[in-house]
Amino acid sequence: MRHSRVAYPLTWRVMDVFERLAAAVWPSSFQRGLPYLMLLPAVVLVGLLVLGLIQIGDSSLRTLDTSTFMMSENYTLANYQRALSEKFFATVAGRSLMGAVIVTVITLIFAFPYAYLMVRTPSSALRKFLLVALFLPFFIGQVVRAYGWLIILGNQGMVNEALGLVGVPPMRLLYNYPAVLFGLVQYMLPFAVLMLAPALTAIPAELESAASSLGAGWVRTFRHIVLPLARPGLVGAGLVVVTLSLTDFAIPAILGGGSQDFIANAIYDQFFRTSDQGLGATLSLLLVAVGSILVGVVFMLFGAGTLAMGDERK
Amino acid sequence: MMPNEKILSAQIRRRTLLGSMAAVGASAGLSTLGVSKAFAQEPEKPSEIIVRAWGGSWVDSLKAGVSDSFTKMTGIAVRHDLTEDNEIQPKIWAAVAQKRTPPIHINWDTTTNATKSALRGVTEDLSDLPNLKNTTDLAKPVGLDGYPIVNTYGYVYVLAYRPSAFPNGAPKSWKDLLDPKLKGRIALYNDGIGFHFPAQVAGGGKLEDIPANMQPAWDFIAKIKEQQPLLGEDPDFTTWFQKGEIDAACTISTNAREARKNGIELAWVVPEEGAKFDTDGLWIPKGLPENELYWAKQYINHALTKEAQQVWLDGLGLPGVVPGLTPPADLVGDPSYPTTEEDFKHLIRISSKVQVENESQWFAKFKEIMQG
Repeated sequence: MRHSRVAYPLTWRVMDVFERLAAAVWPSSFQRGLPYLMLLPAVVLVGLLVLGLIQIGDSSLRTLDTSTFMMSENYTLANYQRALSEKFFATVAGRSLMGAVIVTVITLIFAFPYAYLMVRTPSSALRKFLLVALFLPFFIGQVVRAYGWLIILGNQGMVNEALGLVGVPPMRLLYNYPAVLFGLVQYMLPFAVLMLAPALTAIPAELESAASSLGAGWVRTFRHIVLPLARPGLVGAGLVVVTLSLTDFAIPAILGGGSQDFIANAIYDQFFRTSDQGLGATLSLLLVAVGSILVGVVFMLFGAGTLAMGDERK
Repeated sequence: MMPNEKILSAQIRRRTLLGSMAAVGASAGLSTLGVSKAFAQEPEKPSEIIVRAWGGSWVDSLKAGVSDSFTKMTGIAVRHDLTEDNEIQPKIWAAVAQKRTPPIHINWDTTTNATKSALRGVTEDLSDLPNLKNTTDLAKPVGLDGYPIVNTYGYVYVLAYRPSAFPNGAPKSWKDLLDPKLKGRIALYNDGIGFHFPAQVAGGGKLEDIPANMQPAWDFIAKIKEQQPLLGEDPDFTTWFQKGEIDAACTISTNAREARKNGIELAWVVPEEGAKFDTDGLWIPKGLPENELYWAKQYINHALTKEAQQVWLDGLGLPGVVPGLTPPADLVGDPSYPTTEEDFKHLIRISSKVQVENESQWFAKFKEIMQG
C-alpha cells in the first residue's frame, strides 16, 4: 500500500480528480459537440450584430419629429424614399462606389509586385525589410497617417516646398477627390499585400522555372502561370479592399476638405449633425445592402478567392 | 530622523490647516454663488463634476474663468469632456431614455443644439438660479418655457481675412468672396452654419422670407461653390489660416482671434449684408443624482457671476450676459463684440425655434450644393 502511494505521486492523483471532474461536466459522448462549443463566442458576437441590425432596421422605419426631436411611433418608408430620391445621397453613393473600385484596382496593381518580391526574393534581408515596411503602417492609425499627408502635401508642405525649389508655385494637392483616393490606396496597400502573399507562396516556383525552360518569356509566364494561380489572392485582397474603401470615414473626412464625402460621412451627419437617427439608420442599411450585393457579385463571378475554404477554393 | 508621532502630528496639522482653508474658501465662494443661506442644508459634494466643452482656447477660457474658481470655492474638481457637442447629444438622449445617469453634468452647447434637447425634454429647469436676476435678456432662451438652457454669451460669424490677400482694403461684402483670385482660398463650416442667412441677403433675398423662401441663399451658395471652398469645423479654420491654405473664411470671431494671437496676420469684418449673431449656453441633462444636480446648478450659477464672465469671455473675446463687463482691449469697438443697439443693427438674428425646425433641411441643402 505504501509502495503504491509512492509509485502514484500526488500530482497524478490531482490530475485524476480533474479528469473525473471534466468527464462529469463534459462526458465523452459530448465530444462531437466540441467544435460547436468553440463556435459559440463567434455565434454570440454575430448574434449581437444581427440584434443591432434589427434595431437599426426598426429606426430606419421611423421619421424625426422636429417639434419634439423624438422618433415617430408609426412605421413609414419615408426615409428610404428620401435616401433613394435625393440627389445628394446619389452623388455621395456614386462617389463612394467609384472610389472603392478605383482604389481596389490601383491597390492590387501596387500590391502585387510588392507581395511577389517579398515571397520570391532569395535575400532574407530584403524580405525582412519589406515585411517591416509592410507592418509599420499598422502601428500608425489611419487618422494619424491622414494627418501626415496633410503635412506632406499641404500648401506649405514638403512636396510644395520641393517644387518651389525648382520654381513651381504652390499648388493645391489636398482637399480633392484624387487626394482621398491617394490616401485610401496608401491605407489599403498593406491589407492587400497581406492577402496576396499566402496565395503567391502557394504557387510552386518550379512552375515558373518550367515555363521559362520551355521558352516562355517573363510576360507569358506571368500571364499564363502566375496570374491565374494568384487569382484566389487577388479576389480575396480585392474583396477586403473594396469593402473597407466603400465604408471608410476618416480619409474622406480629413483629405477631402469637407466636399468629398463618402457614404459613411453622410451617415455620421445624419446621426450626429441633424439628429435624424431614422435617416442615418436607413443609409446604414443601404450601405450594408450595397456592400453585400457587391461582394455577392464578385463571389459569383470569381469565387471567394482566399476567403473560401476546402474544395470551394479554386 | 523624525519620530512617527511627529510625522503624524505634522500631517494632521497640515490637513487641518488645509481643511480650514477649504472651509473658509468654500463659505466665501458659496456666498458669491448665492447659496449661503442653503449652506446648512448643502448636499453632499461629488468628487468631481464633468463639463462638456470645446477644445483649444475655448476650454482654456472656461477653465480660467469658471472651472478653476468654482473648484477653489467649493473644493469640487471640474473635469472637461472634449467630446464634440454633436456627438455627446445622442449619448445624453440615450442615457435619459434608458433612465441611466448621463455621461456629463453640464453641457456647454450651441443654443440651437441645446434647444433640440430642451424640446426633447432631457434638460433640467434652471429658473431657480439666483444669479439669473443679474443677467440681460440675452441669457433667456427664446421660444422656450422657463430656462431649460441659460445662454451665457453671444458670438458673430464674421468674414475673417488675410489682409495681404486684399491689397485694396478690407472686403466690404460677402460677394467679395466670389473674386476669382480667391478660388480655392476660402472656407466655410461644413454644414454652412453661419453662412445661410448672410447668403440670403447677398443673394438678393430678404431675411423676412426665412424659412419660407431661401432660394436666394441657395443661389448665392451655388456661386460660392464654384470658388471651391474648403469646408471644416472650428479648429480647421485656425489651422488653415496658419498653414496658408486659405485667405478668407466665414467663422466665429473667436477662431480668427485665436489665429491672430498665434501670430497669423488676420483681420475680420461684418460685411454690409450683415453677419449671423447667435448664442451658446449651458444646460444640465436629466437623470443626475440630487446632490450632483445641485452642484451642477451651482456651477452654472457661478458662470453667471460678473467675475467669472469677465475672465471666461476675455479669453473667448465674446460679449457676455451680465451688464458691466469690460471688453478685451483688442476688441473695443470691434463689430464682432456688439454692445450697443447700433452694433446689433448690423447683425442677423433668427429665432432658435425657426433654426431648430429647419436646420436639418438647410444643412442637407447646403451639403447637396457643396457635394454636387
